Amino acid sequence: MRLRGVPGPALVLALLCALATAINPAFLSPRNLTDLMLAAAPTLIAACGLMLVVASGEIDISIGSLLGLCAAVAGTLSSPDRLGLPPSLAVAATLALGLGVGLLNGVLVSLVRVPSIIVTLGMLSVLKGANELLMGGKWITRLPDGLRAWGTGSVLGVPVPIAACAAVVALTWLLANRTAWGRRVFAVGSNADSARLAGIPVGRTKLAAFGLAGLLVALATLVSVPRLSLVDSGVGVGFELLVVTCVVVGGVSIRGGTGTILGVVLGVLLLSSVRTVLIFLQLGESSLYWERAIQGALILAAVMGDAAGRRREARA
Amino acid sequence: MRRLIATHEAGLAALLAALLVAAWRTDPAFVSWRVQSGLLPQIGETALLAVPMTLIVITGGIDLSVGSVMALASVLFGLGFRSGWPVEACAAAALAAGLLCGALNGWFVTRFRVHPLIVTLGTMSAFRGLAEGVSAARPVSGFPDTFLRIGQGWTAVGLFAALTLAGTAVLARHVLGRRIYGIGLGESAARASGWNVDRLKASLYAFSGLMAGVAGVLFTARRNTAKADVGAGIELEVVTAVVLGGTSIFGGRGTLVGTALGLAVLHEVRQFVGWRWSNDVLNLVVVGALLIGAVTLNGVISRRPAGSVEGG
Amino acid sequence: MRAKTLLAAATAAMLLIGGCGGPQGQEGSPNGPTQGEKGRITICLLPKQKGIPYFTSCAEGAQEAAKELDVELIYDGPTDGSPEKAAAMVEKWALQGVDAICVSPNDPNVLAPAMKAARQKGVKVITWDADAPSDAREVFVNQATAEQIGTALVDTLVKDMGGKDVKGEVAIITATATAANQNEWIVHIKERLKAYPNLRLGSVVPSNEDQKLAFQAAQDLIKASPDLKGILAISSTAFPGAAEGIKQAGKAGQVQVTGLSTPNDMRAYVKDGTVKSVILWNTKDLGYLTVQVAAQLVRGTFKGTDPTVKAGRLGEKRVEGDNVLLGDILVFTKDNIDQFQF
Repeated sequence: MRLRGVPGPALVLALLCALATAINPAFLSPRNLTDLMLAAAPTLIAACGLMLVVASGEIDISIGSLLGLCAAVAGTLSSPDRLGLPPSLAVAATLALGLGVGLLNGVLVSLVRVPSIIVTLGMLSVLKGANELLMGGKWITRLPDGLRAWGTGSVLGVPVPIAACAAVVALTWLLANRTAWGRRVFAVGSNADSARLAGIPVGRTKLAAFGLAGLLVALATLVSVPRLSLVDSGVGVGFELLVVTCVVVGGVSIRGGTGTILGVVLGVLLLSSVRTVLIFLQLGESSLYWERAIQGALILAAVMGDAAGRRREARA
Repeated sequence: MRRLIATHEAGLAALLAALLVAAWRTDPAFVSWRVQSGLLPQIGETALLAVPMTLIVITGGIDLSVGSVMALASVLFGLGFRSGWPVEACAAAALAAGLLCGALNGWFVTRFRVHPLIVTLGTMSAFRGLAEGVSAARPVSGFPDTFLRIGQGWTAVGLFAALTLAGTAVLARHVLGRRIYGIGLGESAARASGWNVDRLKASLYAFSGLMAGVAGVLFTARRNTAKADVGAGIELEVVTAVVLGGTSIFGGRGTLVGTALGLAVLHEVRQFVGWRWSNDVLNLVVVGALLIGAVTLNGVISRRPAGSVEGG
Repeated sequence: MRAKTLLAAATAAMLLIGGCGGPQGQEGSPNGPTQGEKGRITICLLPKQKGIPYFTSCAEGAQEAAKELDVELIYDGPTDGSPEKAAAMVEKWALQGVDAICVSPNDPNVLAPAMKAARQKGVKVITWDADAPSDAREVFVNQATAEQIGTALVDTLVKDMGGKDVKGEVAIITATATAANQNEWIVHIKERLKAYPNLRLGSVVPSNEDQKLAFQAAQDLIKASPDLKGILAISSTAFPGAAEGIKQAGKAGQVQVTGLSTPNDMRAYVKDGTVKSVILWNTKDLGYLTVQVAAQLVRGTFKGTDPTVKAGRLGEKRVEGDNVLLGDILVFTKDNIDQFQF
């Protein structure tokens, strides 16, 4: 039960990596593994937040557009071509924006009682519009070094994105498993009515989960967008689908109440390595056109393996 | 509950009427028959997919793979045409592929008891990827005029109207309708009552796949192109129209008339914003705000008893 | 009662949207093209995708021409680049009865039926930036054909890699797998690569219009194949993404990358030596010329068959067949990039 979402993705991931290494040993080089983790870090940071939202029985699909808007705000505030404010201010504003949008989602869901899929579907569209308006048809070049350090710098020899990601994973694990709030999240997700009867503030618990998810999307923006020197208006498009997929492949039940951080980590690693594996296999010029098909098949395989496992457990 | 549905539909109808009056006051040409009938085909495929989607959402499920099934059907149609098959055979192959995709979704959902959101998220990638792979992402074009004419007119909208009428009758009067609502209100209770829940659910997904196949062929005819990017993102539009129409995303509640009104509001708002301001960015904001606003307003006005929102 | 509340709220909302202009929009509607005063013509300019700098700078040039010619200009396109949405916009404009529609088709096949239908309604339809089947438009404002672009990309890359004797692998990072224009360029890239037998085409990697994916793809390609000498990054997000990938992999100078982009967006990479050449044309002039041609077609001062067209500040431009030629493809390098500000 605790291992839900772990065996399936772990097996598929191990097979993929073995295959890639067998054909092209460069796959296992430290450089490539670092790059893989760098690429997975922002997805994983956002997935940690989404895991808590999903565990509480809700969903947030606005994160792609929120990532884009956060990128636009960070760039607009800090680039000398635009406002040229100090990077620290841009960072603070970005985090505040993420938190604010997350809380707004949470208020609409828990106080006004609009289903979260509808709130965040609408928000996906509104935030994308706001992003386009803010960018004004031009991209942002010349991000200041202070901001770029978030993406390209390192602390104690570890790249910032990886360090931030590790910290977020550890904190999420602590939150989920060692705090009263974490237990409440899962209790609310498995049965809101009995949670309410047990005196748990259902609304506030969910509100906090949404706020945290928004904040983590902002953090994901800060460690991914400054890795590049240019902010374009398409940042974050489709990111929500990737993160939701990672979370459910990682075994977090979409009905709420269950989910493990280990499963989510595996889900993210699996989904973000498919493309690199395909490139390393060097199967010919149009092999990448099958990427999406393979991704879909992997999702189904991981989910099916899991379902079969659950059933065996239930029978045993 | 019946009253509640009726009020949501009345509210939507009022919204639609108010919008059209406001549009007529600012720009009478927009509400003319010529313009409205010219713009109507643009919502055709979305409308067609909204019928099975409504039924599936009423059972508490969802089908996110519809856009990808459209693409796969369209691509198979194109590949068949390129290898010299007659148009009828291509269309039959495309519809069969759609049905098969839908049946596959249904099989996954019922056999493995995996949440439909997850299953169709997976098949959304898989079917789209299959379409990209088998076509090498290349388009097929240059279909005969007789085929293209099917897409220019009102085929999709007419089919939608017929399905809505038939579906409404089934939902309201037939035992199947009661069972569809029954699954949404409580699947275990439905199972306990003895009839085959899985078979009904699986058939709904198959129906959805079939309609996606039809939509794929009609889109191919309307735009003279068979290609793997057909229908990208249409699933979110369909879901938007369905929930705007008052169908509960948690199942158990909703009507096809509501969906038709939801489609109409979505279509008219988008078209009017485009007509008056010619600004695609503004449309993103307006459509998103409309969705949140309408459902919030409905939630505030018809405050449900605590707890009925969760679950599902 | 609930219905009444909803109705009241709905009416209020609609009056907010609609009420600001009175009937017949005497004021308000910034571009009410249907009831525009006689004599003032309305021209619609449709980019492949709205919100990207390439098309924004084209639109600036277009606006300049619109002012000179006293033309009402509508610049709008899908923010997600969807050809289906673009076709829907063409249909809408045709119903509004605008005078001319200038289309940069993201997928010519998808747009052609809508463009033909607009022509049947009496609207002048021309293409710019990318062409469509000739029966779907009057003329093509041609800054470069797919063949010229494909050839220029390969030749420039080969020059940057050190000439035709260099042996190795070349990869392509494209937009999406289904992107029609890019796929046409790829056909011509492959064709042109045959002229350089020492070069082999490796992977064609779609970046799904995501700069970060292009960045990763460039790094993955470098690691996966030690033979890799050059990358053609052929979408506006793929180019800066790939350049950053090469730079951070420490391969600047060893792996070359080129593509199409505005000079503003690539200036930093050209200055620090990661990128030797950027290919494009003068985008402001392209937008300017497009509106000039469209306005003159409507007013009858230019027929599609004339050998030249007088295009305001650009002087006389040559017309070949039904193509109005903008001029040469530009290559921006360290030496000249500062002369171009767009």
